[in-house]
Formats: sequence, C-alpha cells, structure tokens
Amino acid sequence: MNRGAAILPAALTAIAVSASLAAAIVELTRVEVVLARHRRTATNALLAADGCLAGVVAGIPPAWDLDALLAGPDGIRGTGDDGVLAPRAGCTGSADVPPGPAAPPRARVRLTAVAGRGRRSLEAIVGRARVPGAGTLLWLGRSPLDASITGTIFLDGADPGDPTLDAASLGAPESPSALDGWLTSEAGHIAMTARTHAAIGVASPPVAALGPRVQAGSPAGAEALVPGTPVPTLTRVAGDLVVAATLHGAGLLFVDGALDIAGALDFTGVIVVSGDVRIRPGGSLTVAGTLWTGAGAFVVDGALAVRQDGDALARADGLVPLPRLGVLLGQRDLG
Amino acid sequence: MSRGSGLVEAVVATALGLLVVSVLTAAMALGGRVLASCGARGEAEDTAQLAVEAFTFDARRAGFDPAAAGVEALAEARPDRVAFLADLDASGAIDTSTEESTAHVCAAGQLSRVIGRQSLPLADRATTCVFRYYDGSGVEVIPPPTGLDAAGRRAVRAVALEIVLGPARLHGRSGRRILVALRGRS
Repeated sequence: MNRGAAILPAALTAIAVSASLAAAIVELTRVEVVLARHRRTATNALLAADGCLAGVVAGIPPAWDLDALLAGPDGIRGTGDDGVLAPRAGCTGSADVPPGPAAPPRARVRLTAVAGRGRRSLEAIVGRARVPGAGTLLWLGRSPLDASITGTIFLDGADPGDPTLDAASLGAPESPSALDGWLTSEAGHIAMTARTHAAIGVASPPVAALGPRVQAGSPAGAEALVPGTPVPTLTRVAGDLVVAATLHGAGLLFVDGALDIAGALDFTGVIVVSGDVRIRPGGSLTVAGTLWTGAGAFVVDGALAVRQDGDALARADGLVPLPRLGVLLGQRDLG
Repeated sequence: MSRGSGLVEAVVATALGLLVVSVLTAAMALGGRVLASCGARGEAEDTAQLAVEAFTFDARRAGFDPAAAGVEALAEARPDRVAFLADLDASGAIDTSTEESTAHVCAAGQLSRVIGRQSLPLADRATTCVFRYYDGSGVEVIPPPTGLDAAGRRAVRAVALEIVLGPARLHGRSGRRILVALRGRS
C-alpha cells in the first residue's frame, strides 16, 4: 500500500474534525455573546422603566389627592386627555383609578419604556405617603441657596418614639446635591444630629392650597399662642405675625403673611408660613415638628431649632388634613 | 549498499506517524474538552442568571395590591424558603393555587420555584442557596429556622438571594447575589 495514500485521508480527517471543533466553539461563544447582549438589553429596558416610574412618582405634586396625575396634561379632570401621562423621552404611559376603596387616594399607572432594542412594561400603584408633609424638618418653598443665615440652625431628625419616622433635614425645590452643598457651606451655622436624614429635592409645599382648608376648619387666632402651656389648636394668623415676647403654641399654626421672631416662640406641631420667615438676633424659634414656608425670604439671624416629633405631626394632621408626597405602593412587571 | 526500504526506515516512519497521530488526537481531545467545558460553563451561567431573573420577577411584584385589600408582601421568610404574595387580578384576594402566591425554595442543593402544587426546578448542584432579609436601615434580619413572624415579615424592606452553583467536572463555580427592594414599603 502506498503510504502517501494513507496519510492524506488521515490528515484531511484530522483537519475536518479540528475545524468542526473550532466551529462549534465559535458558535457556542457566539450564542453566549448573543444571550449576554439580550440580557443587557432587557436589563437596560427594565432600568429605563423603573427610572420612568420613579420620575412619574417624583413628579406628583404634594397634595391631598392624585388628581394632578389622573387629569392628564391639561390638568383638568373629565376631559379627553384624562389618564394620559407624559413622562420622559423613551417612555409612554397612562393612569387610571384602580379597583377598591376610593380612600385613601390611589392611581394605577402603566408605563412602557424603550431602551435600545429593549422594551419593558410595568404596572404600578401609587398613592400618598403615610406621613404628612415631606418627611423633612424644614420644607421650604424656594431654594435656600440665597437664604441668609448668620444665626444658628439646629436640626434633629430623630423621632423620639419611632425610628422609622426619622426626618430629613431639609426639603426644597432644588437638587439634593445643591442642598447638600449649601448645608456644608453653612456648617458653621447649621448643626444636625446623626439620625437626621439627608436633604431631599422636593416640590414646594402647597401653602396656597392649605390656606383655605385651614380657614374652613374654624381656626383660632394669634391668641392661641400663650405664655404658658398651650393646647393643640388649629391657628391661623391673617397677615404678619410678630413675636416679641416668649410664647408657646401647639397644633398647626398657619401664618398668612410673614413670621417675624424677635422674642421666643416654642411650638409643637406644624408651622406654615406663606411669606418671609425672619428670626432676628436674639430671637429664637423652636419647633417640635416641622416648619413649612412659601416663596418668601428665609432669614435666620437668631436661633432656629427644629426636632422631629411624629406624634405632633399626627396631631396637626388631625386638626386639618395635611398634604403628602406621592409614593409607590407596589408594582409588577408586565413583560 | 542495498536499495529500497529497510527496517530502520520503517520503524522511524512508524514512530513519526504515531507521534503525529498522537499530537492530533491530543489536540482534538483538548478541543473537545474546551468545547464541553465552554458549554457547561455557559449552561451554568445561564442557569444562575435565569434563577436570579425568576426571583427578581417575583420579588419586585411582592405586595402588589391594586384593590387595597391589605395584601402582605411576604407569606414566609425563612433562610431556605421565601413566599411572595401579589394580587395580580385585582380581586382583593390571594389565590394560593396561582402565581399570586409564589415560593422560592432551597432544598437538597436545588433551588425551585413553587406555585401551588407545582414545583419548577430553577437550579441544581447549588453549594450555596440562601435567602437574606433586610430592614429599612439596611440591617440584616436573621430569621429563625421556623421563619419570621408576621411583624418581622412586615419589617422586611429587601430580600436577597445568594446562590452558588458547582463546581462540577467541566466548569468552576457560578454564583449570583441579587438584592431586591420590596416596593411600597417606605
């Protein structure tokens, strides 16, 4: 037998087998790469849907109901665009009222996000937060970056009864990083305890909408602020409130004007000020609860101390229902 | 001097031929092993990933309660078993024979997804398979072997799955750890 005739088929066979193995490895690798790409695409789409939902929830204005979410772009319930959401680019959605009880207010949101070649849809239930307000000690109606702080501010977010109610230092219509920067820059004037949560960016408190609700609650006047032990009361002061003596109050104090502290005011509950807040040198404002302001100036030349008190907030909320932030109550992926 | 093939030439030629065949055989065997190993590794990674995706899918919708009927997110919370609840048809009630009640179970080196009486194996040969629970402060809540009680389950804000597969003869260890926050618990 010719040896050359035997070697050639063997070599060809070896080459064919090797080529098949190499091709199989290449194909296996290609399949794994494709799978990994699909997983990444699906994950990116899921992240986009989650981000879109977070944006929708964060965009719900602080209020008592979810009409702003359900009313559509025109902001009017009962019109043709009800339920149409206009979230960020790459995302479409709608909102309606879910089954079940009408109170507390809830809305069902359906969103679809597209990211690259991926598409994910989800359904979510949103409602109002359990805790009134924004979960902050100070809820300002304007950015504090131009506020004047020559006095001292002490913020204690630790709730005495329930650690889950610990509050953030500050909420304002400003980016959280800018608020952090401002708090850092004012470190010589602002002190916070360890359990005080970080500042949050949030829409302004709905002071204008709260005013009529307070008025409808037959509030007392400035006489509810007393030198001795106060009784929790719904209080409304029409116009500026100047405190020159030492006074105490409790409940909810709505100042439909400026709050000017030259003396001392110790309040347990919620103080809402539609105008400027000014604490003069030597003056002090102490709040066990929270302080909300409108778009007025925020000037602290004296001493401001705010500490969290969930019970005081609940009592104020019992005097007049307070606005709450929108929150995510649950969600599920639709595909 | 004689002409033609001699014995020495034949022996040398045979040896060279055997050497070449041996090298080729070894090369093909190595290629085969690489192929099998790659396949096994890819399969193990796929298995771990699919297990994580199934767990994430169920955990994300835990506590979904469109009818505001008070549906809890967790029906069970044990180191080796977690059961999620979700009112998927907005009926206000949980049908435990459907996906509205979904459990993930680690037992005998296997992770399974249990719906009603159906058990779907998600991953085999798990050397580590454990569920972990965290409260709102990010502190791990250690459940007793019998599981967290109702108050303990309500305090859970996030659930984690930690799973490690293998190693097996053809591939090394494949592991995943996923932490999923329970929605609507802030």
